[in-house]
Amino acid sequence: MNEAGPRGQQARLWISWLVVSVLLGYGVVQTLITAAKLFTH
Amino acid sequence: MLSALDRRHTVAPPGYSRWLIPPAALAIHLCIGQVYATSVYKNSLIAHFDTSQTAIGVIFSIAIVMLGLSAAVAGTWVEANGPRKAMFVSACFWAAGFAVGALGIATRQLWLLYLGYGLLGGIGLGIGYISPVSTLIKWFPDRPGLATGLAIMGFGGGAMVASPLSRQLLSFYDPGYDPSNAGSTASGGALVWLFVTLGVGYFLIMMFGVFNVRVPAADWRPAGFDPARVAAKPLVTTANVSAANAVKTRSFWLLWVVLFCNVTAGIGILEQASPMIQDFFRDNGTSAVSVAAAGGFVGLLSLFNMAGRFVWSSTSDVIGRKPIYLVYLGVGMVLYALLALVGQTATALFVLLACVILSFYGGGFATVPAYLRDLFGTFQVGAIHGRLLTAWSAAGIAGPLIVNGFLDAQGKPGTLTAAAYRPALFTMIGLLAVGFLANLLIRPVPERFQEPPADGGGDEGTEPVTAERSGTR
Repeated sequence: MNEAGPRGQQARLWISWLVVSVLLGYGVVQTLITAAKLFTH
Repeated sequence: MLSALDRRHTVAPPGYSRWLIPPAALAIHLCIGQVYATSVYKNSLIAHFDTSQTAIGVIFSIAIVMLGLSAAVAGTWVEANGPRKAMFVSACFWAAGFAVGALGIATRQLWLLYLGYGLLGGIGLGIGYISPVSTLIKWFPDRPGLATGLAIMGFGGGAMVASPLSRQLLSFYDPGYDPSNAGSTASGGALVWLFVTLGVGYFLIMMFGVFNVRVPAADWRPAGFDPARVAAKPLVTTANVSAANAVKTRSFWLLWVVLFCNVTAGIGILEQASPMIQDFFRDNGTSAVSVAAAGGFVGLLSLFNMAGRFVWSSTSDVIGRKPIYLVYLGVGMVLYALLALVGQTATALFVLLACVILSFYGGGFATVPAYLRDLFGTFQVGAIHGRLLTAWSAAGIAGPLIVNGFLDAQGKPGTLTAAAYRPALFTMIGLLAVGFLANLLIRPVPERFQEPPADGGGDEGTEPVTAERSGTR
């Protein structure tokens, strides 16, 4: 089995995807706010 | 301690989830994608160094040239040493680039910024860009387009993260700086702290990728995966071609032309996006599109550029690599023609056409590693990808040159209309036609370029065979 066991791996999976989702989500939301100006200005 | 970074120490134990690899790759690409957000602090750097636009623009140019060069030169080293060491080295160069750059800003030594962010950071960019690609392809032999699409989507996303973050950090370090005012510039001290913060932050996030990345064991296969089914598809090989031999094949150079044409056409719009939408809707010297709305258009293009990387690359797993490039280039020609001929009739139509074109631009970047895997196998796909990225560097010079060359001949910025863009857009259609033909001409690699089959089959899995074996023919 892997180094951290199945539970450890599950936690690592969650944390990994959470970190990149937060980063990407921040970028997407901020860009959407900017993009909205195309329709409001 | 550094031996922990070696390929042999990063082989995944049985049961290791392959879904840990895409976030590890994203951690790298989200950080190095910052290179496309340098315009945020460009004016502040110009004011701080009291110099020209060109002198500051050179920093970005050095970084992009170094990206292409280091990806091409270090590709074989990356393959031999594995993704963990490559990601670590990339993180060190990328963070050192920011640190030396910060020193240059603090001491008002512009050459240190060239050396730091441009040269050192550029090496980090090149190694980081290719470091996870072959590992992802080996973990996802059933869905290579989806896997590389996810990672390379991160490169597009990196700029979307870094742009607002840099603005917010500059306002935090310099309360007098107003990011909503285009004329406002941040102080040198704020720029130094921005570079230090980004350098430390990016290093930590990239270490997260270093920690999680693993290579699959040589005999590992995803559950239910049958390599024979993949090999049965047209143009897909289970044989392997070394990087040294790949550059001797016609297919490599045809694919180089395909990537060059697709990227040149996309960069032409991307680089000119903000003034372009204003010029297309200019009547009697006044544009119906405001500067703020044009900024929104640029943001929308970034989203489509990023989404295209994932959506189109994943689609290529279903319809095949050659057909998807026929779509990028063939449909792209139609879209460019529509943009040139009827783009000025409605803002919504113009925006829609440009967004789809930019999604094809992103898709072209993200699908190319899987195309290389199909043609040359997994043996040194990362190194071959590195060599192919020289097409990106060349397109980065050609695209803006073509568009700006035509526009300069048409009149002064701020006075142009849709008609002024037609020569440039029709030239892009010609380029896409060349790429379309090149893609049609791509054929399977002849057997004489392939590596001798390893015991038990043609696909070596994780371990490269020997250094001697590459380039033996």
